[in-house]
Amino acid sequence: MSLRLALRLLRLGGRSAWTSAGLVAAGVAVATALLCVALGALHGLDARETRTAWRDPVPAAPGEAVTQLRTRTDAVAGRPVTEVNLIAPRAGAAPPPGLPRMPSPGEVWMSPSLTALAAALPPGDLAARYPGPVTGVLGPDALRDPDELVAVVGRPAGDPVLTAPGTSTVVAVAAFDGPAAPGGDSAVRSEIYRQLTVVAAALVLFPAAGLVGASARLSAARRGQRLATLRLLGASTPRITVVAVTEVGVAACAGALAGIALEWVAAPALAAIPLAGGGWFAADVRPPPSTLLAVAVAVTLLATVSAVGGLRRVVISPLGVARRRDPQVVRGLRLLGPVAAVVVFGVANVYRQASPIAVAGPVFAVGVLALLGAVGVLGPLVVRVVGAAMTRRARSPHRLLAGRRLLDDPKGAFRPLAGLTLAVFVAGFLAPLTSAVAGAQDGRTDVVTMPGGRGDTVLVGDLGRGALVVLVATFLLAATATATTSAARVLDHRHVLYLQRLAGTPTAVLDRARRAETLAPLLANGTIALALGLLCASPFAPADAALQPGGPAVFGALLVVGTLTVLGATAAARPLLASVTEPGRERDR
Amino acid sequence: MTEKPGPMAPTLAGRGVTKRYGAATVLADVDLDVHRGETVAVTGPSGSGKSTLLHCLAGIVTPDEGEIVLAGQRVDRLPESRRAALRRERIGFVFQFGQLLPELPAVENVALPLMLSGVGRAEAVRRAAAWFTSLGIEGLELRRPGQLSGGQEQRVAIARALVTGPAVVFADEPTGALDSTTGDRVMGLLTGLAVRTGTALVVVTHDADVAARCHRTVSLRDGRVATAAGAGA
Repeated sequence: MSLRLALRLLRLGGRSAWTSAGLVAAGVAVATALLCVALGALHGLDARETRTAWRDPVPAAPGEAVTQLRTRTDAVAGRPVTEVNLIAPRAGAAPPPGLPRMPSPGEVWMSPSLTALAAALPPGDLAARYPGPVTGVLGPDALRDPDELVAVVGRPAGDPVLTAPGTSTVVAVAAFDGPAAPGGDSAVRSEIYRQLTVVAAALVLFPAAGLVGASARLSAARRGQRLATLRLLGASTPRITVVAVTEVGVAACAGALAGIALEWVAAPALAAIPLAGGGWFAADVRPPPSTLLAVAVAVTLLATVSAVGGLRRVVISPLGVARRRDPQVVRGLRLLGPVAAVVVFGVANVYRQASPIAVAGPVFAVGVLALLGAVGVLGPLVVRVVGAAMTRRARSPHRLLAGRRLLDDPKGAFRPLAGLTLAVFVAGFLAPLTSAVAGAQDGRTDVVTMPGGRGDTVLVGDLGRGALVVLVATFLLAATATATTSAARVLDHRHVLYLQRLAGTPTAVLDRARRAETLAPLLANGTIALALGLLCASPFAPADAALQPGGPAVFGALLVVGTLTVLGATAAARPLLASVTEPGRERDR
Repeated sequence: MTEKPGPMAPTLAGRGVTKRYGAATVLADVDLDVHRGETVAVTGPSGSGKSTLLHCLAGIVTPDEGEIVLAGQRVDRLPESRRAALRRERIGFVFQFGQLLPELPAVENVALPLMLSGVGRAEAVRRAAAWFTSLGIEGLELRRPGQLSGGQEQRVAIARALVTGPAVVFADEPTGALDSTTGDRVMGLLTGLAVRTGTALVVVTHDADVAARCHRTVSLRDGRVATAAGAGA
């Protein structure tokens, strides 16, 4: 019955109800897609590690070996070539992945890219390095990425490659289908990348969750008033809860599925982004179905919980909501949030330094999440303080309107800014790192301390590229959140705005008020977020690294992108404002 | 029914006002004059065109035919930006509900039209506060609209409508959300102040008691003037 009522309200709600549902779905879709990208990166690292484990196998017990393996790294045309030598391979034994059979001595199997290169280059440049012509092409199961240059070479017993100079060791192999040897170079490198990806995912997680929550509470005022009316008509708490959950849940679920589809479609493009020395197979960056199902359920739940959370006032005081009697209360206790977060971050950081590499990433991510949470907890309080100051000093109508709105609903006013504030935090965290990375690449500095204490040119380059991807993702999340929430606030207050314009209030004043209620609190919140972001980066790079060449560029780009995001988001809602307040729109009653 | 003021040039004049929405003619050839200090009720059943007539007269929508003159200006020929300025400076509005900004205290709601016209905040608030005394709601200046009763809210809306000294006030079902006693008091205040300040008042209502408080009544049916009653009608 309640479910039918909810679906009926949604279906018959007219254009504005569909617009609201569409905005909820759009916000959730973007957040879901970016979450899937982060999870896809983790899945891709696992997939790569699984596919390349055979090159770094666990040594066989005496008497069980089917071959001996020695890997060498070579280079051609400025690109690394991996040469996997199988010495005295036993015929008929199970071959490595991507090969139809165990290579015989003198046979050479190459990856598609290396095959193409060998055909294109003069034999003396490449093909002559191997004992014979190309026997066959390695399948994708043998490769880390589609463009990897790999050769698998069969060698006879006693081949000089066994004793050739080099750092790699000779390993006796019993089978190629086991995991990589623990503590080997390959395993350690994979673990470093996995930990860095966990931190990057944590940085994206909060803005994404924020966008889901903000999307779910789009048109919260309008929904709250409608549900308050139902409550006043006698609807029970469970019934209005079901109505709200259904309304948001349907839109959020549709958005989550759309987001998953978006990531699925974008996978080939994402796979072209190089990490750890190469790109990806598209399937690598697509999370498995079980993960996607979990994401869809989690995102839909988060959205509905956010929507239901906003209903508390409707249940307790429906008359107050219907008439908007109560201003939002934001208490000074929120100041304790950042204090607690700094303590959690400090403890996590000490624990991280003492932890093995496998747990260092998650431990540090907890500290990062604590500081990110602090930004969200403090935000509404900052909005209230800015609103009070603006109201006190307002001389123009638009600043008075903006200040009063900020004071009236600090949480609602912070919602459009939350994503951007978190993006500034992420930028504050990444700016010193990227600029230190730039310094390290130019040989100017070596201030970056890698997890596990390792320095690595490829890793350093990847860190800069990863930072850029995370920044783009968080700003994309922020832009979507700001635009959708700005539009929702216009829809929520459409009737009052309409009557204001009827009474002659210029649209420009309403527009300037919207801009003022966004920019001033964003500046204040952004400054705090930036400071906490720099604090977050301090264990890896000193804060003044942000001032090295590269840092100001990041900050400048951040300033431009942030300002353009806010201006673009408020401008995007301008046609909507003009449309809903158009004189004569609410016709003869 | 109060006494109608003497004959003079109308503050507001509508001549042959016609408005169509698609194939439907909502208003057909309506004439209406309203003089300084005069109160006119526009009545009729739902869908008769009352609110559309109000919207045309106030320059909210442009009629398809006919002309509207307010304080000597052809309203129907002005662009929207000029009509908005006219509404801000020469017209006051009282609606059934929702015209007050919920986040502003009552006194700032009243002061806002003055600030939009360029009056400084302190002076605007001072002049707004004076209306609270005139309307018997002193002490409520700092309350938010949600903290006011329906009658108090409508009095604040009346103050907001009159604070700029408009030539005409349009009231659309101003007592529609009030009980009869409170509605009667609000209408008494509205008509009394209109007469005292020389403001023309046009009230759209379906309530016969409200209409009876005005100098005359214009009754619409299917977009046409069906009857006009009252002194000098």
